[in-house]
Amino acid sequence: MGSAAASEPLLRLRGVGKVYEGEQPVVGLEDVDLDIFPGDFLAVMGPSGSGKSTLMNILGCLDVPTSGTYEIKGMPVTTLSPEALAAMRNREIGFIFQVFHLLPRYTALRNVELPLLYAGVGREERTRRAIEALRAVGVEDRKNHLSNQLSGGQKQKVAIARALVNRPSLLLADEPTGNLDSKSGEELLAILTHLNAEGATIVLVTHDLAIARNARRIVYIIDGRLVTPEEYRGLRG
Amino acid sequence: MNPMEFFAVAFDALRTNRLRSALTMLGVIIGVAAVILLVSLGQGTKNYVEEQFAGLGANILIVTPGKIETRGGPPVIGAARHKLTLDDARVLEKKGYLFGGVAPVVFGTAEVRSGSRSRNVSTLGVTPEFSPVRNIYVEVGSFVTDSDVDAKRRVCILGRTVKRELFGNANALGQVVKISGARFRVMGIMERKGVSLGFDIDDIVFIPVRTAMDIFDTDALFEILISVRNKNDIASGKELARSLLFKNHNRHEDFTITNQAAMLSSLFTILDTLTYVLGGIAAISLLVGGIGIMNIMLVTVKERTNEIGIRKAVGARNRDILLQFLLESTTLSAAGGLCGALVGTLGAGAIRLLVPKIPVDVPPWAVVLAFTFSVFVGIFFGVYPARKAAALHPIEALRYE
Repeated sequence: MGSAAASEPLLRLRGVGKVYEGEQPVVGLEDVDLDIFPGDFLAVMGPSGSGKSTLMNILGCLDVPTSGTYEIKGMPVTTLSPEALAAMRNREIGFIFQVFHLLPRYTALRNVELPLLYAGVGREERTRRAIEALRAVGVEDRKNHLSNQLSGGQKQKVAIARALVNRPSLLLADEPTGNLDSKSGEELLAILTHLNAEGATIVLVTHDLAIARNARRIVYIIDGRLVTPEEYRGLRG
Repeated sequence: MNPMEFFAVAFDALRTNRLRSALTMLGVIIGVAAVILLVSLGQGTKNYVEEQFAGLGANILIVTPGKIETRGGPPVIGAARHKLTLDDARVLEKKGYLFGGVAPVVFGTAEVRSGSRSRNVSTLGVTPEFSPVRNIYVEVGSFVTDSDVDAKRRVCILGRTVKRELFGNANALGQVVKISGARFRVMGIMERKGVSLGFDIDDIVFIPVRTAMDIFDTDALFEILISVRNKNDIASGKELARSLLFKNHNRHEDFTITNQAAMLSSLFTILDTLTYVLGGIAAISLLVGGIGIMNIMLVTVKERTNEIGIRKAVGARNRDILLQFLLESTTLSAAGGLCGALVGTLGAGAIRLLVPKIPVDVPPWAVVLAFTFSVFVGIFFGVYPARKAAALHPIEALRYE
C-alpha cells in the first residue's frame, strides 16, 4: 500500500520524546529512533506502562512528540496543526483498538463508511468501498447489523474494515486481540498476516510475546525507551 | 462532508433520544407560541381600536369650551370665560375655507317616553351638518333639516336601540314621543352603528340644535365638530379654527381644539409599545428554552465523548465536530420553532373561534420573527457545548467510558 520506494522509510522517528506536563512532569517516551518501511509488520512489545501506548498515539498522529522529529513519507508531523493531524489520520492511518471503538448505534456499514465521510467521499462511492472492505475481512453479511449486536470477533473485523477502507499507509493495531477469545484472536492475527502479505504496513502493539511473534520484526520498549531483546529479558527478569 | 450529511448525522442523533429531544423542543415550542400569541393579542387590540375609530374619521377637529392645556402663567385678570355658541359655529362655517362641514352639538340627558314605555337617553341637539361630519346617517325617514333648526321644530330622530326599546317592532315614523315632557314627532330612525369605545351610538336621540337649547335651557354648545376637507390640511385647519375663534372670543383662547388623528397616533404608539413589551416578555421564555437546549447539549457532549474520540481518530477535524453538534442544537431549536409557530398560529385561531371577544390577529412578521429568533437561540446556546466537544483531545476522548 505504501507508495514510497523500498529504501525510503514510510515512518521515520528520530530522538522522539514525550513529556507529560503537570505538577510532576512524567516522561512517556525518551529518545526513540525508529524506521518503519513499506510492507513492514512490526510488533511493539512492552509491559503496561512501558510507553507503548504513547508511542502508538504518536505514530497514529493522535498526539505530537515534545522533542525529536517524526516524518510520514518524508513529511514532518511534529509541527502540524490539529486540523492537519486530523487529515493525516484520515488518509495515512487506520486504527484497530483493543476495545473496538465502533459507534454502537450505527450499523457495521456506516461504521466502516465513517473515515470516507470525513474524507469527503460521495455516498455511493462510500457504500461501495465500505462493502468491499467488509468483504475483505469476511463480514459482508453483517453489514446491516448494529455494531452492538455483533460478537467481539465480528466487531474487531468491522474495525479492521474501517481501518482499511480509506487505503491508509499504515495499520495501527493496539492489543487487537485483548478482548477476544483465543479462536477469534487467532483468526484476527491470520487476517493481519494476510493483509501484510498483500502489502499492508502494520504496527502491532502488544504486551504478549506469543502475539508479537506473528510479526516479522519485534521492537521492545521499557520505561519509554527502545531496548534490545537481551536488555528486555534482563529487565523483565 | 457535505451539509446534507451533517444534517443527517444530527437528525440521527436526535432520533435516538426521542423523549429527550421532544422535551427540549417543548421549551422552544412554548416560547415561540407565546411570542406569537402575545404579539397577536397586542396586534388584535390595536386593530380593534383602529376599527372602533374608523367610523369617526381621522379628519375631524373637535372644539370644546375651556382651556385644557396650560401654557403657564396665572390667568389674565378680566379674561372672560366664553362659552361656545352658535355664533362661533356660524363664523367657522362662513370663514373656514378648509372645512367640509361644521356641526355644533348640544348635549343633554332626557327622559324619552312613548305611551307607557320610557327611557333615559343621551340627547344631542344637532344641525343637518352633523350627519356627514360624523359619518352616521338615517336608515329610514330624514335627519334634522335646516328649517327644523330655524323653526325650532319639535322633531326627533331615534337611534336603533331607543327605537327598539320604545316601539319594539312597530312602526315609529310619524309617531309622537315625549322628550322631557314635550311632544316630539319621530322623523327618522338612525342606521345601526354599534358600540364605539364603550359609547352606544344607537342609544341616542337627535333633535334640532335650537330646540335642544330650549329644552335644556342653555345657549352654550357642548362641542363643535369640524371636518377638514383635505386630510393633509388638518394642522392648518386646526390653526384656522383657532384664529377664527380667538378673534370671535375677543382675543381669548378659552377653548380647546383636539384632533382625532393626533389622539389616535399617540394611542397607537401606546398599543405598539404594549405589543413589543408582550412579545419581549414571551421572548424571555424562548431564552429559557435556549438554556434548556444548552443544558441538554452539554449532557449529550459528555455522553458522547467516546464517539467524539472515535470520529477524531478516523479523521474528523475540530470543525467537523463543532458543526455536527451545532447543527444538532440548531435542528432542535428550528424544529421546536416550527412546531411553536404552528401551535401559536393554531392557538390564535382557536381563541378567535372559541372566545371571539378577545381580539387576536396573527401578524405574519411575528411568526417569521419568532421562528428566526428560535433558530438563532439554537445557534447561540449550541456554540458553547459544540466548542467544548470540538476542543476535546482525541486520546482523552477515546479513553473516556
